[in-house]
Amino acid sequence: MGVTTKNLLVNFCPDLFQAEVEETLKRIQSHKGVIGTMVVNAEGIPIRTTLDNSTTVQYAGLLHQLTMKARSTVRDIDPQNDLTFLRIRSKKHEIMVAPDKEYLLIVIQNPCE
Amino acid sequence: MPPGSRHNSPGLAAFLRRVEAMVIRELNKNWQSHAFDGFEVNWTEPQQTVTCLHTLGYPPAQGQGLHVTSVSWNSTGSVVACAYGRLDDGDWSTLKAFVCAWNLDRRGLNPRQPSAVVEVPSAVMCLAFHPTQPSHIAGGLYSGEVLVWDMSRPEDPLLWRTGLTDDTHTDPVYQVVWLPEPRYSYRFRVLSVATDGKVLLWQAAGPGQLQLTEGFALVVQQLPRNTKLKKPHRGETEVGTTAVAFSSFDPSLFVLGTEGGFPLKCSLAAEEAALTRMPSSVSLRAPAQFTFSPHGGPVYSVSCSPFHRNLFLSAGTDGHIHLYSMLQAQPLTSLQLSHKYLFAVRWSPVRPLVFAAASGEGDVQLFDLQKSSQKPTVSIKQTQDESPVYCLEFNCQQTQLLAAGDAKGTVKVWQLSTEFTEQGPSETEDLEQLAAEVAT
Repeated sequence: MGVTTKNLLVNFCPDLFQAEVEETLKRIQSHKGVIGTMVVNAEGIPIRTTLDNSTTVQYAGLLHQLTMKARSTVRDIDPQNDLTFLRIRSKKHEIMVAPDKEYLLIVIQNPCE
Repeated sequence: MPPGSRHNSPGLAAFLRRVEAMVIRELNKNWQSHAFDGFEVNWTEPQQTVTCLHTLGYPPAQGQGLHVTSVSWNSTGSVVACAYGRLDDGDWSTLKAFVCAWNLDRRGLNPRQPSAVVEVPSAVMCLAFHPTQPSHIAGGLYSGEVLVWDMSRPEDPLLWRTGLTDDTHTDPVYQVVWLPEPRYSYRFRVLSVATDGKVLLWQAAGPGQLQLTEGFALVVQQLPRNTKLKKPHRGETEVGTTAVAFSSFDPSLFVLGTEGGFPLKCSLAAEEAALTRMPSSVSLRAPAQFTFSPHGGPVYSVSCSPFHRNLFLSAGTDGHIHLYSMLQAQPLTSLQLSHKYLFAVRWSPVRPLVFAAASGEGDVQLFDLQKSSQKPTVSIKQTQDESPVYCLEFNCQQTQLLAAGDAKGTVKVWQLSTEFTEQGPSETEDLEQLAAEVAT
């Protein structure tokens, strides 16, 4: 997509992207066992969430730090490698983090026992 | 949460487009996977057995044959207090009794010398430490009075008392509970329950005086008729109340245990006036909203689940524990734990499926509904000669500790094994399932 076309879309149909974001998050949140979904930006600040404020802030801060540490661990072992996905399994549920240059997608799922 | 601005929408949309498929795939795989079934990790050294950490007693009280009628942990979890009195038949109104407290964290703890002792002119039936003030404690007496002491002031511990007025209970006070005030949740009032059928709310007013602010009276004619009860003895109108427990989910909802053996669901917000002729400076209301199916004897203890809004336990002198749901009159489960009486039952503050009961045969029985729904998981013998255990309380700060008081005047502090303090993987779900077994 050319820069001009994208600019046009951003300026004239911003709702298109907004709706797509909401639809995607809704699809993920409605998956079996999902307790919460959130998107965090590169600074560790949450920009979308389905959980309450205090829980979200806690998850965002802690998982952002952990993801950065996980990424540097992978790259220190092999500089040609990079982190693609992070999963933390605990007694009560599983936390999944899909990392990226600008954002983190965090999904908390209570898997079927 | 700042609403998505136009500027990050395309970037955010693109990011989600990139990761969505992978995340959905992982969510699906996880949902179907059995890879972690039964996989458990031990982070702490497991405590295998239940051990008796402390055996506490006050010889002058034990010498008089006094029973421990009630125990309470303070707000920091480091002090355990016990009330001395008598729970058998007799006139204990002028019996010299005591309230004793031991600071378990203090070095040089002497189990036969409490850190604080208060002499009380009438048998003490119940105790409750203040929820936030570590040294304030309320007690209910055989005489019907309610007193509040400050255990950190040995020279003059009595802070407030109801005195003996028209408002005071005319029968022994079986339980006292601290409740936050409706508008100032850092201030507290004391609620007392007695066999005269009154449930009263007291507040500190004026020097040393506990004043009645609100009150309820239970009268046979006003009991909800959803359950058929035995006809009361002629002339009997009051419903003797012997136990109370507040819901952890709805602060105005409480359950009362009665001499008639039927628990009652009640509300602080009830407005109907009570049909009673008992004198009172505030108008008494009828609080009962639902009558539960009775035990075969008086209920001396009730406990609301800290993990499920509809579940509560009751212990009766018929030796049975009933597990009730607020949604139906018949209990979900009835367990016979004793051939004598049961005096106390308490849910664990950390394990949704665990509760403890004190029996008339001298045992503290620990039930884990996840392991067995019929037999206790552990039965701890507290007294050597089968004298009853009258009371028990879990320590909410140090969750491996359980205090129990008995008829020999001894308080034992039990340390529970790790299995009683760590939640299992699907415990909350199992509790939900149990609560859902309500008959349709």
